[in-house]
Amino acid sequence: MKKIYFIAIAMIAVAILIFSTAAEDMSTYSTFADAARSGKKVKVVGQLAKDKEMYYNPEKDPNYFSFYVNDAAGVSHKVVLLAEKPQDFELSEQIVVTGKMKKEAFVATDILMKCPSKYKDEEISIKKEQKG
Amino acid sequence: MENAISYIGEHLWPGRIGHAGILLGFVAALLSALAYFFATQRRDKPEAAQWTKIGRWAFAAHSLGILSVIGMLFYVMTRQYYEYQYVQAHVSDDLPFKYIFAAFWEGQEGSFLLWMFWHVVLGLVLVFKAGKWESPVMSMLALIQVFIGSMILGIYVGWGDDPLKLGSNPTLLLRQVMDAPIFNQVDYVSKLSGNGLNPLLQNYWMTIHPPTLFLGFASTSIPFCFAIAGLWLRKHTEWLQPALPWALFSGAILGTGILMGGAWAYEALSFGGYWAWDPVENMSLVPWLTLIAGIHTTLIAKSTGYSVKSSYAFYLLTFVLIVYSTFLTRSGVLGDTSVHAFTEMGLESQLILFLGFFTLLSLVMFFMRYKGVPAPPKEERITSREFWMFIGTLVLFFSAIIITGSTSLPVYNKIMQFFDPTFEGRVITEPEPHYNKYQLWIAVFIGLLTASAQLLRYKGVNWESYWPKFLRHAGVAVLLALGMSFLTTRWIEVKDIRHLTMLFAGWFAIAANTDYLITFIKGNLKLAGSTFSHIGFGLMLVGILASGLNKRVISSNPFIMDGLIEGADEQSLRNNILLFKNAPMQMGGYEVTYTRDTLDKFSRTYTVNYKKKDPQGQVLEEFELHPNILYDKSFSKVAASNPSTKRYLDRDVFTHIASLPQVEMDMEFRRKREDSLNYRRFDLFEGQEISFLDTVPIRDRDTSVLKRYTVQVESVSRETRHPDYKPEKGDFTVGARLRVQREGDDTVYLAEPMLVLRKDMLVSYPSQINEISAKVRLTDAIFTQLFVPESELGYKEYELTQGDSVRVGDLVVRFAGFNKQPDNRDYQPEKDDIAVSAVLDVRDAAGKTYEAQPVYLIRGSQPFNLKAEVEELGLHARFMSINPEKESASISLALTGKKRYTVPFEIATNSLRSDYIVLEAIEFPGINLFWLGSLLMMVGLAVGMWNRMRGSHA
Repeated sequence: MKKIYFIAIAMIAVAILIFSTAAEDMSTYSTFADAARSGKKVKVVGQLAKDKEMYYNPEKDPNYFSFYVNDAAGVSHKVVLLAEKPQDFELSEQIVVTGKMKKEAFVATDILMKCPSKYKDEEISIKKEQKG
Repeated sequence: MENAISYIGEHLWPGRIGHAGILLGFVAALLSALAYFFATQRRDKPEAAQWTKIGRWAFAAHSLGILSVIGMLFYVMTRQYYEYQYVQAHVSDDLPFKYIFAAFWEGQEGSFLLWMFWHVVLGLVLVFKAGKWESPVMSMLALIQVFIGSMILGIYVGWGDDPLKLGSNPTLLLRQVMDAPIFNQVDYVSKLSGNGLNPLLQNYWMTIHPPTLFLGFASTSIPFCFAIAGLWLRKHTEWLQPALPWALFSGAILGTGILMGGAWAYEALSFGGYWAWDPVENMSLVPWLTLIAGIHTTLIAKSTGYSVKSSYAFYLLTFVLIVYSTFLTRSGVLGDTSVHAFTEMGLESQLILFLGFFTLLSLVMFFMRYKGVPAPPKEERITSREFWMFIGTLVLFFSAIIITGSTSLPVYNKIMQFFDPTFEGRVITEPEPHYNKYQLWIAVFIGLLTASAQLLRYKGVNWESYWPKFLRHAGVAVLLALGMSFLTTRWIEVKDIRHLTMLFAGWFAIAANTDYLITFIKGNLKLAGSTFSHIGFGLMLVGILASGLNKRVISSNPFIMDGLIEGADEQSLRNNILLFKNAPMQMGGYEVTYTRDTLDKFSRTYTVNYKKKDPQGQVLEEFELHPNILYDKSFSKVAASNPSTKRYLDRDVFTHIASLPQVEMDMEFRRKREDSLNYRRFDLFEGQEISFLDTVPIRDRDTSVLKRYTVQVESVSRETRHPDYKPEKGDFTVGARLRVQREGDDTVYLAEPMLVLRKDMLVSYPSQINEISAKVRLTDAIFTQLFVPESELGYKEYELTQGDSVRVGDLVVRFAGFNKQPDNRDYQPEKDDIAVSAVLDVRDAAGKTYEAQPVYLIRGSQPFNLKAEVEELGLHARFMSINPEKESASISLALTGKKRYTVPFEIATNSLRSDYIVLEAIEFPGINLFWLGSLLMMVGLAVGMWNRMRGSHA
């Protein structure tokens, strides 16, 4: 038996070990109900509840932005992001927040927004009529 | 669908040329691949030369086709022919010319063209330089071009209602890709405007990063083609020689391209780091890792005859991974896991075909020839360099597998959902720690192996006599590494055993390779490529540890770090701090002040001053940073925020504007807010004072108090300034200085609002007093006072020759003579003007003298006259005509007396504060070690390539 085979087998073993432990780093997209149940850090996917309050007042706290998200189950919940309000936040079609459920709100440490792409936009911008 | 309308203003010929170029490029690539295929298959027959000739000409035609598409696209883009869909999507009137390249490869089609362009360039080099390898290598390269070319074909295959669309053609007209009512107008072209380039991408990195990266992508094709050629011709050892310089070239360029991406993210985008394990980043790194593995196995194979099979495997895999990376980033499969993937364009099935074809081809070729590939019968000795080098390549391969595995999670989800629609997709909750925890050990192994393998000899020759020397050098390197690691922990904080191990591995690689450079190859730079790269790798590891582990958020509450605040875990995420203008703030050992902001076109640049002081208050160091924000072209929203970084040798101070007052970010909100302000209107003479009561809300409470405000008009003037006002020719301006005071506040604040009349437009520049939330603006009524109609002034005309004086009221006006260079603030000279002014000396009753120069002017054969006014006296003068015979001038004079202007103004006391920024500031220690190390790696690869290229000709 060649030495190299031992090394290859060892590496494969480590690879299997890694991929089995890596499952811990993974999660499915949760709902707020799941997040409350597990108490762990999860990702929640949903849409911005545009009818509810968005609050960001940097004069009071530049690291506090709160808004409401409707999750996949249709439940609306308050989300607090410990950072500034992201640009073009209102335009987002879909929001993925990573964080934990706390007493009063879902505290997000990371946020990813999907904004409508300009390529899909079927509108054509037309020059504004120039005044003579 | 045929359009019955004949349109006005369309430029159709570039589109026709471009379309012809696409078809020519595609067909000629196919022909070239076939011709070179036959040239290879029948290489021993006389017709081979004929086939090669056809292959060459076909490739030349292909090159012509691709270059003409590129040329045509650039032409229509620079001409702003918006009737073209690609132009409309990526160009706009206000796009600076320097970003035309960036706009070109912003779109998928443009970036495919860029990729093909580099294949064309590399292919032409190969036609001349590849010699006997030309036919098989070019056959493969042309075949790759066929596949990429199909991505921009834009033809429909199949029949019926839903034919398969093959590729997306960038030369189509807008009206060919969409239906809109505007196309019912014959002159629709003149009504179009472009979308332009995303402001986030309006950056010089967008000009240099994609071409470098795509040259890197394209150059991985060459070792791939050589590998296929080697298998095809069964020349299993000969292909390594010509493939190696190309592989080294590719390693250097692809590596540089990846680094540029990191530098862009760090320097120009507000990601706050250079690497985030984003899928797009990962999938450009992975092929680089396998390519580097391939370079190492090639070196083993050339020196010892081992690892030929692995060399094949790595080069084949590298290209397949490049295609896989293309598939991931362009098919839309990454979805919401990546920040910067392209949007989907319906190319998924074509990309899968591209990937499937080359994967299958590689597998078939590899396993068909597997048995015939030579390998020495004996195993590598454990004391040989090749053994440990090979282990190193396995570690790299291993790294590639686990990165690819995690990155491919969305693909796995898609496949599972295909079989089981109820399957719930999985995601990595936190990518950065996930990747870091595995790659850390990869880095440790590679660091240790680059050091120890370098000191070993190929085939382990004379190990019996060599081992004491090996141990001596290895021992010295270990001691040096331990010493340096210890010193490093004095500078940066490294506590975790895993990080300490990585630190040691980095220094061990540096020490052993430096030793090798000095004592073994005696500083011979020609042989130094590998040591450079390995030292670079070691430095990079130290740099990653220093900048990543000790990255310090300056802009945060200083007590958080010490764990004095409960819930510090959460608090430590709070990276932003609020800075009021001119109010210094202590943070992270600096005194930080936001001092200034200036608006230039669409970008507002903020000046942030950093001071470091000793306990006595002496300034030890001071610097200014200039982060800026870019508004979108309609000036309604902030489109991008660009950071600014102070670079020291041992650390960087990174600063970026995280947020601004809403009135500065959102012009819609600003307008609404402005409309809701409760303005009080006053009309005062200069020097007059007024006071009024108004409610002031108490912060953080729901009540308010009544306070008295006092306003005094200090002066009114036409010479005036405002921070946002940029003077333009022909502007008519008026401004006032007002002194505003609020009860209970000792400071008297100065407000300087102004009004500008520009052509027919009246622009108001209000003055904001942030400290008391007051806003003052002038009303346009002030102009009715400034403009008394000329007919109401009561002019009297005088005929004057030089030296004549007249009496007007109690003034004496003397005509001092003509002036051919008129001095009059309303007169702007133009070419071909005939202009002359009458110099009038005016003396008042008190004996004080003034001068006025009314102008007589012939412009474009039309006579004009421009009045002059002595405002202090209220004297108006016009130069009506010249009488050349008598050498006299006809002057009209009117005296209205000095006017007392009133200043009509409005003041609101509930205006929002707009004088602050929300700042994020991070200190990255030792980040230059990372850049230096990674650059040194690339330099090493380039030195290796240069050396091998000379070697191959010798």
